[in-house]
Amino acid sequence: MPLLLAILVTALLALVSLFVGVSDVSLPALLAGTAEPRAVEVFIVSRVPRTLALVLAGASMAIGGLVMQMVVRNRFVEPSTTGTSESAALGFLTVTLLAPGWPLMAKMAVSALFALGGTALFLRILKAVPLRDVLLVPLVGIMLGGVIGALTAFIAYRVNLMASLLAWNMGDFSGVIRGRYELLWIGLVCCVLAYVAADRFTVAGMGKDFTTNLGLNYKRVMTLGLVIVSLVSAVVLVSVGSIPFLGLIVPNIVSLMVGDNMRRTVPWVTVGGAAMVLACDIVGRLIRFPYEIPIAVVMGVVGAAVFLYLLLRTPRHAA
Amino acid sequence: MSALFRTTALLATLVGALSLTPAFAQDKVISTPQGDVTIARVPEKVLVQDWAVFDDLSAMGVAVAGVPSSNAPTYLADQIPADAIQIGSLFEPDFEGIAAAEADVYFVAARSAAAFETSKDIVPTIDLSVDNTDIVAGVKANMVKLGDIFDMADHATALNDELDAKLAEVKAAAEGKGTALVLVTNAGKLGVYGPDSRVSWIYNNVGMASALADVADGDHGGDAVSFEFLLEVNPDWVFVVDRDAGTGENAGSAEALLDNELFNQTTAAKEGQIVYLDPQASYISMHGYQGVMLLLDQVLEGLNG
Repeated sequence: MPLLLAILVTALLALVSLFVGVSDVSLPALLAGTAEPRAVEVFIVSRVPRTLALVLAGASMAIGGLVMQMVVRNRFVEPSTTGTSESAALGFLTVTLLAPGWPLMAKMAVSALFALGGTALFLRILKAVPLRDVLLVPLVGIMLGGVIGALTAFIAYRVNLMASLLAWNMGDFSGVIRGRYELLWIGLVCCVLAYVAADRFTVAGMGKDFTTNLGLNYKRVMTLGLVIVSLVSAVVLVSVGSIPFLGLIVPNIVSLMVGDNMRRTVPWVTVGGAAMVLACDIVGRLIRFPYEIPIAVVMGVVGAAVFLYLLLRTPRHAA
Repeated sequence: MSALFRTTALLATLVGALSLTPAFAQDKVISTPQGDVTIARVPEKVLVQDWAVFDDLSAMGVAVAGVPSSNAPTYLADQIPADAIQIGSLFEPDFEGIAAAEADVYFVAARSAAAFETSKDIVPTIDLSVDNTDIVAGVKANMVKLGDIFDMADHATALNDELDAKLAEVKAAAEGKGTALVLVTNAGKLGVYGPDSRVSWIYNNVGMASALADVADGDHGGDAVSFEFLLEVNPDWVFVVDRDAGTGENAGSAEALLDNELFNQTTAAKEGQIVYLDPQASYISMHGYQGVMLLLDQVLEGLNG
């Protein structure tokens, strides 16, 4: 079964990720129990959390993209086109200004709340907009994101925090250690949620009338999807920063391979997202060892190439 | 004989008289990284596009008429004249405002160095950019240049002597204190400032050995590193530039970030040898005289415990 093979490859990448780093940690020594205490500690405090963070962030961002594309019925939208990432950044900026000494977890929580608020505002605006044209959804989101982003940039500029704002928008796993990634588990919850509701999203992906004829509440499915999307992107943004292209290319590649039935695509997208992020981060860690290249940069290069390929290869599905 | 003598005397008098008329005779040629600039007299109306140069001018006691409109470092706040005109951000000068100001001289540096090409046709422009590889020499050279421009050479020399004295003091304090690493913290991520960075003087002038001696040390300026990296490099002293502390206070986010299981095992953390540097002096006006003096004081205080 090809899915099993994909899982195996991802597991292999995760294993490699566990043993790539500045400190000397070796698999045989760990297994034999002869590793130095410090190596064991580095493994537990730094390597395992980082690998988990990569898997969680990759899987949930890809799922976020998939759900977004099903709900919006547009292959070329991204989870960040709902004003959510911008709201998360605004939240992070606010908490950095008002309570710079707070632990990261608290900052994350505040930021996630802002992101949810931003998404709620987005849903509110959507209600007022006739949804006949699917392109209107990402357009509204992009415009809302633009407004919130401008507000955020204005505040950041006034208080000399432009550097921080840039860093939040630049995904990077180098700062991940135990205690600094746990919010990403929420992403896993979102993945499970997406799998449970997969059939509904598949139906919703066929249009409002079709969905209603089958007795489903179209709006409710849509809202659930957007909540998943916003939660995922908020959590990833505040934990490691935004990762470009991921939510876009992974679902598209999977769709080319196995079609659009979400019950079938969710496992593929989850695994594919994790593998993609793991591979990009390993590359980013190795290119300039011992210094690191942010994953957003690696992902931007790889993602842009794949995206171009997708654009040129397939006929446009978008309106 | 007497006719020749009289002619010579007359000539001598003429030459003497000419050299006493300052407005026209004292054209000064100032060499800058972007070519020589001729200044006709001691400038009175001064515009500055860079906080480090403002810092220098303020240290010299020169009145400044125009300042950047953003990123004013807190340590300079009470030196900025309330009625100063704002001439655009550090990167984007407001050329119309600059032209309208009809100033005698306009200083650019580092971030605004690119403005030179445009502004040189509007107002006599001097580029005071400093090369990061030797910041102290660059700062001192700028002070000498400013002393020349504003006829305050003695004052500049005195200030430079003070800087040298302070540096010698810090250097003595740093003797035998082990290795150092300058960290920049930004949004929960770590970067390393090496011997070519904005605070390179900690390594190059104060003489603290870089903790990166064992690591291939490229041209990095804030390269991302992991906590694991810190654990392995294990510096004796850590100097922290907290880029999240945009309001100018070391507001504690860097401390919260560094308080973790891995960093706490380094010598610097165990011995409490962590010095938080003024974030604005170290990354906005890192080439300013007062900024460098302030940072030297902070390093000195840290080293002396």
